[in-house]
Amino acid sequence: MARIANRELVQLIKEGNPLGCRHLVEQYQGRLIHEAVSVFDLIQEDAEEIVSDVLLTAVQKIHDFEFKRGDGDFHVWVMTIFRNRVRDFVRHRAITEGLEERFEEAALDDEEGYTKAEFEVVREIVRQYQDSLSRDDNKTQGDGRTAASLKAVADVLESMESWERVLLRCRALGVPYEDIASYTDKPVRQLKVYHARVKKKFVRLLIQHSPQLAQQLSEAL
Amino acid sequence: MTMKRDMVDKLLQLAYLEGVISTRRGYENSVAKKYVPALISEGKQTALLHGLEQALEASRHAEQPLTVGGFLLHVKTQSPIRSQEVASRIGLSSNIYRMLEHDRISPLKISIDVWKRMRTLFNLSLDDLVEMVRRTHQLVFFRPSFRTTLARYDAKKNKKMKSATLEKAAAELYTRAKLTLPKEEEAKVEKLIGAIRGE
Repeated sequence: MARIANRELVQLIKEGNPLGCRHLVEQYQGRLIHEAVSVFDLIQEDAEEIVSDVLLTAVQKIHDFEFKRGDGDFHVWVMTIFRNRVRDFVRHRAITEGLEERFEEAALDDEEGYTKAEFEVVREIVRQYQDSLSRDDNKTQGDGRTAASLKAVADVLESMESWERVLLRCRALGVPYEDIASYTDKPVRQLKVYHARVKKKFVRLLIQHSPQLAQQLSEAL
Repeated sequence: MTMKRDMVDKLLQLAYLEGVISTRRGYENSVAKKYVPALISEGKQTALLHGLEQALEASRHAEQPLTVGGFLLHVKTQSPIRSQEVASRIGLSSNIYRMLEHDRISPLKISIDVWKRMRTLFNLSLDDLVEMVRRTHQLVFFRPSFRTTLARYDAKKNKKMKSATLEKAAAELYTRAKLTLPKEEEAKVEKLIGAIRGE
């Protein structure tokens, strides 16, 4: 099936033409399943279910969508639905299974290695995130509290250099170094070399950002 | 293939998912560049397509307020009764019925008895019928001004746009716009609606 422009795709769905659904599936199903599995570590079955839900939501809400900036608007809109569905899945997993173990595994797998204090700071943030999800009043204040539990991450990133921020955020989501090089005007080789160092810098700043937490941790260790 | 990520990457992912940080479309753009064919079974693919097509049909009916024409066309596609038979049972000529099917005639020009027979034949609630009648009159009343506006737009932007496209755009505009009738037109509609309601 030849690929069509997003405007054409949206028009077909808005007209109720089933061909629009086929193009939507053709353009997004494989791509989003791939992202869910390779970037967000979902198993294939969960990824398929989430992506089906994303495409269904896109069809159901198509009349709410309008192009404002250009043809890419539709892609960004679909990606926002996708992000929200993955977020809901991760929240559910955090409540039912917990995320700490997954972070622990990630830390153990890491060849560079983080110090115990560095690991504990990250774990504490994850713990606060989980707590914010499981509170009884989560339904009314949850989103604000959940965001607040991760505020330190945003604050620390803001204190770093622009290219470091872009590198960390984009690499965490699997954006190729070549793309990041074009966003930052830094050579690919430099980005590859510095990535691990910038991550270490980020964690160090995270500890400094929460001196109280660092104190508690150092006493506990 | 899963890329190796450490705890910092996972923490940043969490912040991205929760909307605390953004890549300013960097991530979204990189996904747009990829093409990955779906590697799922044919059965699952068919089931998904079926679900999407059902949602498409449902959203069409939910989004577009029903006009008399929309309702009659729906009847035409969904029920075995032929249009001619419907026309004769409600007491309309084929020509007028066809005009009604395409929202080409104002409900004000159709007699009360026809509306009452139509309500009985299709077991319509009074509220649904009244809403359809009101909406249809709005569309018929506003059609000429929409056509003029769209034609002007057409002349400026793209002279080659065919009349069918224009008509389609107008139809969408009619069905989605909130239309307020002038007072005297509103009074005429209310009079008809009152008669249908038996007031």
